This record gives sequence, C-alpha cells and structure tokens, in this order.
Amino acid sequence: MKKYEMQKPLYVLLLMIMLALSGCAVGTAVQPWEKETLARPEMTFEGDKLDTAYTEHIYSSKEGASGGAGVGGGGCGCN
Amino acid sequence: MVSVATTKSTVLATALATAAIALPSLQFAFAEAAPDQGVVSFKYLHYQDSQIGNGVNVITGASSAGSSSRMGVNAYSMTASVPVAGEWSIGTTFTSDSVSGASPMYHSSNLTKMTDLRRAIDVELTRYFSSGTLSFGTGYSKESDYLSRSYSFQGSLSTEDKNTTFTLGGSLNSDNIFPVTNPNAYYSKKLYSGIFGITRILTKNDIVQFNVGYSNGNGDFSDPYKFYDNRPTRRNNTTILTRWNHHFDWTDGTAKLSYRYYTDTFGIRAHTLEGEYVQPLSNGWTVTPLLRLYSQSEADFYVAVGAVEKADPTQPTPPPADAVYYSEDQRLSAFGAITLGLKVSKSLNQDWLVDLKYEEYEQRGKWSVYGNSDKGLAPFGARSIQVGLSRKL
Amino acid sequence: MNSRMDSFHFRFEALGSGCEVVIGSGSKKNAQSIAGCAIEEVSRIECKYSRYRTDSLVSRINAAAGHDWVECDEETLSLFQYADTLYESSGGLFDITAGVLRHAWDFGNAVVPGQDVLSRQCSLINWQSVERQGNSVRLPVAGMEFDFGGFGKEYAADRAAALVYRKGVRNGYVNLAGDIRVLGPKLDETPWLIGIQDPRHKSRTIASIPLFTGALATSGDYERYFEVDGHRYCHIIHPRSGYPVTYWRSVTVVAPLAITAGSCSTIAMLKEADGLAFLEDSGMGYLAVDHLGEMYCRNTSSGF
Repeated sequence: MKKYEMQKPLYVLLLMIMLALSGCAVGTAVQPWEKETLARPEMTFEGDKLDTAYTEHIYSSKEGASGGAGVGGGGCGCN
Repeated sequence: MVSVATTKSTVLATALATAAIALPSLQFAFAEAAPDQGVVSFKYLHYQDSQIGNGVNVITGASSAGSSSRMGVNAYSMTASVPVAGEWSIGTTFTSDSVSGASPMYHSSNLTKMTDLRRAIDVELTRYFSSGTLSFGTGYSKESDYLSRSYSFQGSLSTEDKNTTFTLGGSLNSDNIFPVTNPNAYYSKKLYSGIFGITRILTKNDIVQFNVGYSNGNGDFSDPYKFYDNRPTRRNNTTILTRWNHHFDWTDGTAKLSYRYYTDTFGIRAHTLEGEYVQPLSNGWTVTPLLRLYSQSEADFYVAVGAVEKADPTQPTPPPADAVYYSEDQRLSAFGAITLGLKVSKSLNQDWLVDLKYEEYEQRGKWSVYGNSDKGLAPFGARSIQVGLSRKL
Repeated sequence: MNSRMDSFHFRFEALGSGCEVVIGSGSKKNAQSIAGCAIEEVSRIECKYSRYRTDSLVSRINAAAGHDWVECDEETLSLFQYADTLYESSGGLFDITAGVLRHAWDFGNAVVPGQDVLSRQCSLINWQSVERQGNSVRLPVAGMEFDFGGFGKEYAADRAAALVYRKGVRNGYVNLAGDIRVLGPKLDETPWLIGIQDPRHKSRTIASIPLFTGALATSGDYERYFEVDGHRYCHIIHPRSGYPVTYWRSVTVVAPLAITAGSCSTIAMLKEADGLAFLEDSGMGYLAVDHLGEMYCRNTSSGF
C-alpha cells in the first residue's frame, strides 16, 4: 500500500501549486509592452523541437519514467 | 496631490496604452500569435552507450566479461512548419533512426535487435485564436517488428491580460509488436494520456509552468525478447512537472529549471531535476550548459541480478517461484543518473542557425535516492552528439 | 553586440515628410530587403488612410458621408476602436472627425477664418454621431470627415518597426518625421540619442533623449503654422472652439509604442494648461515646453 501513502501528499502538493499559480494577483500584472524579454525563444517552454524529441526518446528508452511535458508523438519499440 | 482627477487621468492613460496594444501587429510579440515565418530544421544525432567493466559478481566475486560498447544510434530528423492563411500553422517532423549492436545482457537490452531501422512521421495542425490555440496531431512510427500510431489534441486558453495560459491536451497511442523471434505472437497496447497545465507570467523576467499528466495504459507491457519477463497488463502513471524560466538582465542570460515527479502502478517513482543556462554571446553565438539529475525507485516486480542463484547480468536470472509478475529490465531497477551537457549555437544571419550539442550520461544503482539498488548491475553510461541546422523561410 | 554587424540607414519620403529606417545587420543586402518591407508597409498605410489621396479608404468613407455605409476591414475597425478610446480618454478633445477644421484654416494663405465659418465646421465634428454597425461605418452628415492624420503616422511607425523586428532585427529604429519607434539599442548596446527640436529655432535642439527601446513622439506648434499680428496659429486645433491651441510650444512623450506617445502628446497639447497634469498622471516620460519657453520634464531616460 506504499503507493497510496505516496499519493496523498502528491495531491496536496498539486493543489497547493495550482492555487499559487492560478492565484489571485502575484505582484503586479506584467503589462503587454513589458513582454519583449518573455518573447525570446529561450524564455518559452517549447525549445528546440528536434533536440527535445531526441532527448525524450533516449531518456524514455533508458529510464522508467517518461512524459510530463505534453501529449502526442509516436512511440517506439524500445518501451 | 492625489485627487480624484489625477486618478482618473491615470486610468485614461492606461486605457490608451491598452487600446494601442489591441491594434494589430504593433507589438514586437504577441502571446499567442500565429508564426509569420516558416522554419525548416535538420538534425543529426549520434548516440553511443556503454557498460564497461561490468559483471562483478557480488556474490561470488567472479567477474564476467561485458561489452564496453553496447548500443549505437544514428538518427536523422527533419521538421518543417509553415504558416497558412495567417491563423493556421502546419508542421511535420520526419525521423529515421537506426539502432545497432545491442548486447546480450539480459538486464540491459536484448539479443535479437542487432540493427533496426525506425521511421516516424508526425503532422500537427494548429489554429491560432485571439485568446488561445487549438492543435491536432497524428503520428506514425514503424520498425520491422513494431508499429505505433498516435492521435492528439491540445488546446490553450489565455486570460485577457495574456499573463496566464491554461492548457488541456489528450492523446491516444496504439502500439503493436510482431516479435521477429515468434511469428505467431502479437503484442499490443493502448495508452490514453491527458495533461492539464497552467503557464503564468510572474514578472517581465519570470515565467512558470505547472503541468499534471495522467496516462492510462492497457495491454502488453512485457518485452517479447526477454526471458522471464511478465509484466502487469496495466500501467497508469501520474506526472507533475513544474518549470521556471528566469532572465537575468545583467548577463542577458536565461536560467531554465524544471522538476518532474513521476509515479506509476508498476511501483516506480522518479524525480527529475533539470537546469540549463542560456547565455547569448557576441557575433550570434549562444552557449547553453545543462545539468540533469534523475532518480527512480525499482518496480514492484523487478528481479535483481543474482536474486535467486545466478549472478551474471549477461545471463537471465530466474524469478522467485511465487512471483506473478517479474522482469529483469534494467530500466525497472532502482538507480540514479546524471547528465552533463553543453550546447553551442550560432546564428549565421537572420535566417540560418547552426547548433552542436554534446551530452554525457551516467547511470548508477547507488545513486538512487530510494535505495535498494541492484548491486549486480554495472555502471551504465552514454554519450550523444547532435548537429543541427535550421533555416527560417 | 556584434562586431561584424553594421547599422544601415535608409532615408525615404512618405506621409509628406522625410523618414528614415535604421537597421543593424550583418549584411547590406539583407538590411536593404528588410528596409524595403518597412517602407512598403508605411506606404501601404499611407495609401489606405491618407485623406489627401482620393482613392484611399478614408476618402471613400468621407465621400459617402450622409449617404452610404462603407464596409471596412479588420485593421480599419480596430483603428476606429482605438479612435473611440482616444475620444473617451481625452474627454472628447481628440476627435478623428475634427479634420474638417482644416478647410477653415488655410495655412498657406495665413488668413484667420471668421467665427461663422468656424462654428459651421465645428458643428460637423462629432465622433459620437458616427454610425458603426458590424463591419460597416457611416458618417451621418454630408461634409463630415475622418482624419487619421492624428495617429496614422505613429501607427505606421509601429507597424513598420514590428515588421522589421519580426525579420530578426534587434538594433535600429523607424523614424517617420520625428515619430520614432526603437527596435533596440545601437550595436554597441548604447542608446540612440534622439534630439528634440527647439520649437522656436529649427536648427537647435533643446534636449537629447536616450532610448534603448520604446518610442518617442512630439507634437508642436512649429510644424505647420502662420502668424498674424504676433499671434501664432498652429495646426493643432481645439475641436470645440475651432481655434488652434496656444499653451504649449511642444510636447514630447516617451512611451512603449509610438502611437501611445503620439496620442499622449497630442492630448496634452489639446488640454492646454491641464496637459501637464495629464502627462504627470499618464506615467509616461515627457518633455514639454510651454508658451513662455519654460520646460517641464520627467523620466524621459527610463527607456522602458
């Protein structure tokens, strides 16, 4: 039953982060004209698509855990 | 001097600035803007792993010969995306990889797959709206003995100030295996996955993301090429991923941090902590060092090397007599891993970009924060190099 | 930032005045092609919204005043939306139907029009009476006119700059007769120094404003004017009195977008003595010179 013992704090953590994120006004809202830095490619979460695909593919064939960042993509016979 | 009148004109000036933002294409960037340029990228990857000096038998002390180089991968991939009619974008990725030289290590890989060619293609269509995006994708991946199809959708919705974006996605993966060793056998599995995410701009230099993913898998998870491999027919997993990007004005660099927690019904729990730092330099150069730390617990049914009477990772270890499920796949053991990497890229001009990435990966049983590692497994390592070229259209 | 990159200057004529686009790039050919796109965009906007061109959309709408509805595209509708905010934010002072006063004020012949002429023209100024429905717009009374001149130049500067930025340029600016949108600092990472003209001496500057990014626009009584009996009549005209404003010689505003800078400086001119409080509360940087030559300024070097 160790799995279920783990799950509980997990969902508490989950709830806490969600509340913090969707949360009411963390500081002052960033204005549209202040977003030039945020528009840089390195400030986005997408990154280099092919690099990410290779890296995820390799990790998922060598490690037990995978996923988390998005959905889709083809599988492979390594798993 | 704060009077009602001054407050009012502050509001008016803000209204003006906000109204100006609403005009089309005045801003240098929109939160959700359809790309107005196409991109074509090509990338080559070479991967080589090794498990040197392995096979020190923890029980007898005898050592067995292990191959120093086990598996190599050469992969080529190409991706292209083009904007269509201002509000759509269509992208496709093609990958071809060949795997060679898998070694006869039962806990590691398998005997039969000496070379294999995989071809995969996926297509994604995205529609951009003023307050979000909607995309649909499909993928197809094929090897001599394996066929995988996937279908996915993802939608995002941003708040009016574009500071918070919610993402919801779902996918279905359908995999079929036709083992070359047994023409009559047929393995298949289906994976339903869903993801929910919140991305939030905290300051003009900070953006954070929080994703929860759930995946429900049914079917054959057992490895048809392994002896003593019988896994549950259900594997559900939950992932929590948080990411944070911070830009440093004084260096003009960006730190990207991410943490993922993974748990599944095989009993594997894993922590992944990743950090990279993107530093633009002069003449269009950018260097990005990266560090990744990974640690997982073993699956409930993992059979360690020599758990019964034999102790040679190149030979199968019979599972305990009363075990219903058993596997000696090294990926299901408890271990930790460290990746160190460096990526260097250079913009040749406004349109061309070249990049080079080198990574070293080391995996050790004793690095698992969960303990209970398999001492019969030799240290595992890999290195990879990527060369990429990208052009804006 | 890039030692092999150069700043390329391209000068061109548009909107009746001298304009300039400056692009930091590694190749002249590349800079030329990008500058070409920017110039094309400015001329596209001029063709579409200039009331001096009989074939422009604005001229078509004006010609249909009192009669037909004219269907507009999304860009034009969003500009009307912006004009509406301008009207509201300025308490009705910035009214894009105020262009009819230019028929009364003849800057070429330097004649002060009579009161009857002015009140007749003022009666045609009424943004709130403009009918907008779906994608169509209609000026309800014959003789009414739209004039996008109050922000069209700044809009063009922003559009052209955004276009250049999307082509990957990070150093340079677009300057349409003094309305400037900066793409990013000079190649050595220092700011562009924008000289502000002395409103009474064409060849002198009263200040130099450093800009890393953002925009700057100036409205002044010296751009088009005439003098009669020592009284200066400029082209910025109060929509209710029908007479040119007199309080400020010039108002320069530094804002994230050229259109915001230009709108704020024009509103400050129109508000006359109250303009200072407006500028102070707007949160934007400004440099204003009043009718006595006194200078007021705040925070023009923040550079966003």
